[in-house]
Amino acid sequence: MKKIFWWLLKAFVSGVLAFAILTSFCILYYNVPVHSSTVDGVTDYSWEKNKFYSRGTEGFALGKTNNEGYINSYDYQEGMDIDVLIMGSSHMEAYNVAMKKNTASQLNLLLGDNLVYNIGISGHNFLTCTSNFEAALKKYAPKKYVVIETSSLSFSDTDLKKAIEGTTEELSSHSEGIVGLLQKNQLLRLLYLQFSNWKGASAQNAPNTDSKTQSENNYEELYLSLLNNLSQTAKDNDVQLIVLYQSNVHIDAETGAAVTTNRESIQIFATYCERSGIEFVDMSERFSKEYNQNHILPHGFANTSVGQAHLNEHGHRMIADELFKIIGGKE
Amino acid sequence: MSFASLEFVAFFAVVFVVTLFLQRLRKQTYKELFLLFASYFFYGYWDWRFAFLLLFVSFSAYISALFIHKKASLVIGIIIPLVVLGFFKYFNFFLSSFSILIGGDLGILNIILPVGISFYTFQSLSYVIDVKRKKIKAEKNFIRLALYISFFPQLVAGPIVKASEFLPQLDEDRRITRKNMEYGIQLMLFGFFKKIVIADHLSVFVDDVFKMPTAFHWLSIILAVISYSIQIYFDFSGYSDIAIGCAKCFGYDFCPNFNLPYLSENVTVFWRRWHISLSTWLKEYLYIPLGGNRKGKIRQYINLFVTMLLGGLWHGANWTFVFWGAMHGLALCVDKLLPKKLFSKGILKFVGTTLTFSFVTFLWIFFRADNFEVAWHIIKGVVTLQGGILQPFSWSFLAIAVVGAASALAIYRSKKNKEAQINGFYPLFNLNTVRGLTILFIEIGSILCLGFTGEHPFVYFQF
Repeated sequence: MKKIFWWLLKAFVSGVLAFAILTSFCILYYNVPVHSSTVDGVTDYSWEKNKFYSRGTEGFALGKTNNEGYINSYDYQEGMDIDVLIMGSSHMEAYNVAMKKNTASQLNLLLGDNLVYNIGISGHNFLTCTSNFEAALKKYAPKKYVVIETSSLSFSDTDLKKAIEGTTEELSSHSEGIVGLLQKNQLLRLLYLQFSNWKGASAQNAPNTDSKTQSENNYEELYLSLLNNLSQTAKDNDVQLIVLYQSNVHIDAETGAAVTTNRESIQIFATYCERSGIEFVDMSERFSKEYNQNHILPHGFANTSVGQAHLNEHGHRMIADELFKIIGGKE
Repeated sequence: MSFASLEFVAFFAVVFVVTLFLQRLRKQTYKELFLLFASYFFYGYWDWRFAFLLLFVSFSAYISALFIHKKASLVIGIIIPLVVLGFFKYFNFFLSSFSILIGGDLGILNIILPVGISFYTFQSLSYVIDVKRKKIKAEKNFIRLALYISFFPQLVAGPIVKASEFLPQLDEDRRITRKNMEYGIQLMLFGFFKKIVIADHLSVFVDDVFKMPTAFHWLSIILAVISYSIQIYFDFSGYSDIAIGCAKCFGYDFCPNFNLPYLSENVTVFWRRWHISLSTWLKEYLYIPLGGNRKGKIRQYINLFVTMLLGGLWHGANWTFVFWGAMHGLALCVDKLLPKKLFSKGILKFVGTTLTFSFVTFLWIFFRADNFEVAWHIIKGVVTLQGGILQPFSWSFLAIAVVGAASALAIYRSKKNKEAQINGFYPLFNLNTVRGLTILFIEIGSILCLGFTGEHPFVYFQF
């Protein structure tokens, strides 16, 4: 009995030591702040403010969130003159690339005096961004442009209706209570990520899905209604809306060349945007061209499958280039 | 049920606890019967129908060995496993090859390849032959024989355990002990680390390149081919470690299946260090019966070539495997032609090791490629210095570093202990100390934190 007690004690001490060592390792390998709900509704949640982060599971990047919990190279100050506001998903959040290599920073460099502010954050797809759109314009009052990034152009009828009616469910941050507390430990955070990836439930590497159920009857009507609403809100705030579409490059296994598999749906969406007075930027052609000419893919990292996962620094550069052509061209 | 699954962890835990309880009853038969039941459950978990096939193969070996003095019995004992293997694994292959030869279409049968069939049919064959050679006595207890053929740690992907090694262990009072547990669990964890953390991550890049070889830069292709040679090593040696460790937990010993194969100075040494249980089996039950080196040089070369050709075919019903085996056979012949100790010392040993690794790695292209066309694209991509995607896959560099560090450590240790040859080893820790337990927990944590979370079955499951 005594032997078992001593062994259990040793096992406990060892467990604590191992936990501490692995947690230390995670500080560099996977150190992700906790999401917490925002009060102003510009996004459903933001990261912890002024928090160091690192991520080695997909690409590798280190950085610090700004005073609002977004990834920008500068803090937000009330009344600050923002020229271009970027909204979008984890692709724009750009957790996987160095802060100075993300779209916002690169566009900032290209635009010189114009200030670009990025509130892209994980989990926020196009419809979530539309529900935050008005609040974001109200708070940041961008002078020239607002960009909404999306990696999907197809949504279900139900989701579209909810977006039009303004009843899209808010994304929860799980920052309260025991779950919020557990998230403070990086090892547990990583284990949870591994578990959810293993279960296939993680949205981290979620492929761009253009296969949501849509009924042909009111497809056009719903899209136009949503886009018109957005366009009107933008006009009311005296700003031009740009919808930026970017999706993975598909490589033909036989020829090794890049192919766009959803050209038709892109064209339809582009037509709707045009009719609603929204600028639509489709990255497919630029991505394909860059791949076919230089074999550079916009997505994926040295530790992921080729061309999969989030935007890499090349992808961010290409997007910044394309946005600059529009924004800079009209300056 | 794959070793790298939660189902297996649960299965192992239940089998372990029940076996522990049964061994307290001091009735060996109960334990053996339960382990047999567990092994059939393990196998039937994939497809219960094939449990009957396993039973049939085991029973035919049992009957054949009991009546081994009758010639017909020996023939049946050899023919049945070969027919089973031939039908399930090679029927469609030969049918489609024949179709191509005659320029017609004979169609194919919808045959599912039972998991592990190549392994248990070989074990069954070795048992019958060993009884005939009077190396062992015919086992009168069917449960024991069936357990030998179906024992779950080695059932689906080896090591190919010889009856003369395993059956005598059943006569002894092999038990679950703390010492066995310490050794077994640590070995299993090494295996899981090799498989889940290294091999599976490498598979991501390797699969990408072999799926579309024309899209990649030649440097990426070279890295992918090297990555595959490391992937298959970590995958299969990882599996073997898990199997050996798992058996050890129950008190049974399996021989090591790998011993730093990429440190071999020639192909002959490589085959003494790679998939040792298969190369030993091929030597004892194919090469030697064919005449081995007893019938002159020319005949020896032919025997070597034929053995490796069939060894290649054993791996899979595809001409790429046949080619892979044939090339290894040729290399063994060339090796026999060279002076015996040409690459045995100093810088020449290093040259020999580099050449052997390069040759083996080159042949892995045919092993991995789905067909000759893919293999050709891979080779052509490198030879023509093809342009394309540059992917400096980080896991590949990590894996190369791990292999390099482990090899350097093994060389250092062998020199320090003045061993005649370099041997792989496992740093096993005393789990009664805080240090040992801490390392064990870190190892478990590392597997959970860094493990590949997608689906990737063991490479050798397909064989």
